[in-house]
Amino acid sequence: MAGAASLRQIAFYGKGGIGKSTTSQNTLAAMSHYFDKNIMIVGCDPKADSTRLILHEKAQDTILSLAAEMGTIEDVEMEQARLWGKGLFDKETPGGWINCTESGGPEPGVGCAGRGVITAINFLEEEGAYDEEGLDFVSYDVLGDVVCGGFAMPIREGKAQEIYIVMSGEMMAMYAANNISKGILKYANTGGVRLAGLICNARMTDKEYDLALELAQRIGTQLIHFVPRNNIVQHAELRRMTVVEYSPYSDQAREYKELARKIVYNDMKIIPTPISMDDLEDLLLAFGLEDEVDESQVGKAAEA
Amino acid sequence: MFVLGFHFPADMGNQIPDELVAEKLAGVDISDVKEIKLLMGTKDKDKEWISYTNKDTFLFRAMVHYFKEENPNKEQKYMIYMNRYQMSAISKRVDAADDETMKLCHNLDSMEQFRIEVA
Repeated sequence: MAGAASLRQIAFYGKGGIGKSTTSQNTLAAMSHYFDKNIMIVGCDPKADSTRLILHEKAQDTILSLAAEMGTIEDVEMEQARLWGKGLFDKETPGGWINCTESGGPEPGVGCAGRGVITAINFLEEEGAYDEEGLDFVSYDVLGDVVCGGFAMPIREGKAQEIYIVMSGEMMAMYAANNISKGILKYANTGGVRLAGLICNARMTDKEYDLALELAQRIGTQLIHFVPRNNIVQHAELRRMTVVEYSPYSDQAREYKELARKIVYNDMKIIPTPISMDDLEDLLLAFGLEDEVDESQVGKAAEA
Repeated sequence: MFVLGFHFPADMGNQIPDELVAEKLAGVDISDVKEIKLLMGTKDKDKEWISYTNKDTFLFRAMVHYFKEENPNKEQKYMIYMNRYQMSAISKRVDAADDETMKLCHNLDSMEQFRIEVA
């Protein structure tokens, strides 16, 4: 495997739309700014939105788009595909730095999006991106819930060693978290990947903390942090900035700082014990997210 | 595993006994604190001050520790949501006999924001 022995390769997985890219960029920004960590982000989402807050840009050129433009991946230069963070995260700024890459994906409806992830990681390895002097963390920001083998690539190939699942107290987010745990379990023995914790990107629904904590405990991991909802995240995003840079002394920056501290010092990396669909539904029932259904009423219209 | 910001090694599992958390707080000096003042809420019209003086509880000690940590100037401090949820969860088990503490735990379990001061 490329990179120094001390290099930690982490990944943020979670249901689409859960706030993975926002959570990951704000957390990585805090790890860099408050804890002097040097980080490479590998965006693995065809939306290519995993680095915009670090770069203060709409979206950087993706490795796949550059390859299409140049003709082949062999013609792409590292300087085109990998950009240094702006402001606090520039290499010349005191403290940690962040550099950014995006795998990209095919046109909607055409080809396999997961292939972009594979192509991008191979390119970065061959170009020596993992051997950058002082690199502490590589972070993969990955779409979906691992039903697609392409998006499981950072897990499957043993690239990402510790997985953080971004979820909330909503049913589909919890379903996806449990499903991702199944993907980790599948490759835990062959690739050495481990689940390092759930991050609850809160929707501020009733009993959300208790529900997230219970799910974490059932699948054998920890709820590493509960990130409250705060409008300042959206205000920062309008300026294409992380909260850490936009308002470093704000309450929300303190939340991300605490999450960053926990990830930096986290040693709980486990093989998960995903629960069955029935157990997941029982959990939602127990916390009032679903109403108990009288089996005799299943399939009957309201007027019947 | 992290509870109230304390790190417990991974080999201790994902459910840390309350006694071990209490042990971490055993050395916290609460002698100079008579009252904890909590500001609950975010919108000015809805903000509410809560006074808490039950020094014999786990919750009091945990809050004093939270306030004093990395706060040399003893300024009003934002409470990290997860820390206060964890404080409340443990307090509901170990301070269960104290009605005032249970009432405060009910508030801490809400989605409201809290700030802490001591006097």
